[in-house]
Amino acid sequence: MRVLLRPTQYLALAAYILLLGFPLLWLISASVKSSGELNSLTVSLLPQQWHWDNYSDALDRQGLVHSAGNSLVVALVSTALVIVIALPASYVLARLKGKIRAAGVGWILVSQVFPVVLVILPLFLILRTIGLADSLAGLTLVHTTYTLPFALWMLQGYVSAIPVDLEEAGAMDGAGRWTVLRRIVFPLLMPGIVATAMFSFVSSWNEFFFALVLLQSPENYTLPITLNMFIGGEGKVSLGPLAAGAVLAAIPSIVFFTILRRRLTSGLMAGAVKG
Amino acid sequence: MKSRRLVAAALAAAASLLFTACSSGGDSADGPVTLKFQSLSDQPAAIAATNKIVDDWNKAHPDIKVEVVQAGWDGVYDKLITQFNAGSAPDIIHYEAAGVVPFAKDGYLADLTPYLSEQKKTDIPKGVLDSVTVDNQVIAYPTELQSYVVFANRALLQKAGVTIPTGDTMTWDQLREIARATTRDGAYGLGWGLSSPTAAMVALAPGFGGKYFDGTGTDAKISVGQGEMALPQLVDAMAHQDNSILPVTLTQSGSKALAPFYAGQTAMTIQGSFQAANIAKDAPAGFDWVVLPPLAGPAGPAQAANPQTLSVNKDSAHVEQAAQFIEFFTNTENLAALNEADALIPATTSAREALTTKLGAQNGWKEILSSGQYLTSAPYLFVDKYAQWKDTVATPAYQKFLAKQIDANGLSKELTDGWNSINR
Repeated sequence: MRVLLRPTQYLALAAYILLLGFPLLWLISASVKSSGELNSLTVSLLPQQWHWDNYSDALDRQGLVHSAGNSLVVALVSTALVIVIALPASYVLARLKGKIRAAGVGWILVSQVFPVVLVILPLFLILRTIGLADSLAGLTLVHTTYTLPFALWMLQGYVSAIPVDLEEAGAMDGAGRWTVLRRIVFPLLMPGIVATAMFSFVSSWNEFFFALVLLQSPENYTLPITLNMFIGGEGKVSLGPLAAGAVLAAIPSIVFFTILRRRLTSGLMAGAVKG
Repeated sequence: MKSRRLVAAALAAAASLLFTACSSGGDSADGPVTLKFQSLSDQPAAIAATNKIVDDWNKAHPDIKVEVVQAGWDGVYDKLITQFNAGSAPDIIHYEAAGVVPFAKDGYLADLTPYLSEQKKTDIPKGVLDSVTVDNQVIAYPTELQSYVVFANRALLQKAGVTIPTGDTMTWDQLREIARATTRDGAYGLGWGLSSPTAAMVALAPGFGGKYFDGTGTDAKISVGQGEMALPQLVDAMAHQDNSILPVTLTQSGSKALAPFYAGQTAMTIQGSFQAANIAKDAPAGFDWVVLPPLAGPAGPAQAANPQTLSVNKDSAHVEQAAQFIEFFTNTENLAALNEADALIPATTSAREALTTKLGAQNGWKEILSSGQYLTSAPYLFVDKYAQWKDTVATPAYQKFLAKQIDANGLSKELTDGWNSINR
């Protein structure tokens, strides 16, 4: 029975990976199929004929690369801003006790219940007043504001998981507040920071509605807006180029995740506190 | 350490780039007038045609410069609402009648009646012009139209011994007969993507004398009588008595219903006329298809028109110049070129005739362009809560009816009661 355990585990893992990866495989498959094949009853993962024109069409047609550049700038800067703001705020939130903390946490949760359509018009007017409507700077501020509450909530969970005993032990050894934070808390918090950064990046990278409404000039369009242009009126969809564009759009996210993946290791926590 | 500095430098550079990215525009005091034209053209050929028209205009009118701002169809309603409310809408707005009528009622669109030339007025069929007329004001120029037409697999019709109709129109009874005759050897006579059936039911109702709505705005009253129920009942009879409609297509979108048509599983399919371009592109090699004459009910071949439109923002500082540009945009040559690129039907008679002359010999174009003459005003365009009724009442009710969950009386009752509860 035990002999079968390991192969079964591998099989389960393979099935899980296939389940998660299948939509991406299908997307890649669709991106190299001709329009005729995509609109036929024949369903196959491998295309009958490799049709690379979808990629050139996607790149030529809508300024995809420029939009990807815009998305990348907005996502990176808003992610950096979110982390810079959320890091100290989440520490305070996690370590505070009493009514102020409850009110803070309550407000974070309440801020999540407002539908975006409710805030879009005042947001647009405010941005126009400060001269940031139809600009990447304005969109970055909006993405930061939009992502911050959840990032704060997420990060304070990670802070709470770090035992206060560690900080007290550091203080007992003569470390000051800043040293404790820099030498003990931040290293232990790194996986949480990375996870939060990933969440913020993906939220901004994929965000559609704010970008749709706030950006008026094509040179400022982000990737979701440009991809949206493959969906036309009267129900017309350029499925092949859209799939090709979506594959290209996924690449920066995959690269970003690959770079940060190793940082997600939570092993630092192991053995920090004796049971 | 080195990598940290690199990341920090990259972020700082990105931030500095970002915060200098704000742009500004507008007319200089002594320079040419600049008009922003938000275009929704999505097909490469249509984008090229639009840009060519704008370039031609800019060359001929150096004092009135038009700038194209490309936008997408999806989400454009939300975008426009924000733009209008924030006072940042473009000067010239591309959309569709169903979308712009509510904006006109809210006072966001300029009255173009004074700028509409007499020649253009007579060139636009009355029914189509009515679809862009709100409170006796023309609030948009119609540009492109689509109709519902029947595409047929010539080989399957001939195999069933069916003579392909060639008249000016064909009746729904003829369609039903052909569908019956071609339902054989495992194939069905018809495939009709009716997953969102309301648009088709409402658009085709005029052929049966159906209107659905009387009155406008919030005063509109619904009436679901014989004229409105005729088409759903016909579809029901074809699907469940004749068994001549491929059942799965009733749950699919129009585009999805093309695949069984290509595969020979259905002999005919009812589609938006623009699908002719996709069929020409996507059908298997050697697939012999034909467009049948426009469908006519007891009240004739009329279909409700929901044209694509060009409107002018009422708050634009240059309404007159914007209207001049639209007059130019919709001249015969330009409209013909644009509709050829989009595989749609021009909204003016002269452009439709020009396109017929040019493309009439090509597969399907003659019948499709001919169907354009029967397009007429759609009462639902002027009903305030039509969109809500369509999504929350009509579509589920039609779906239940086509799935045999409710009968004709049940459908009529749901459509009527649903409207009355929404429009209280």
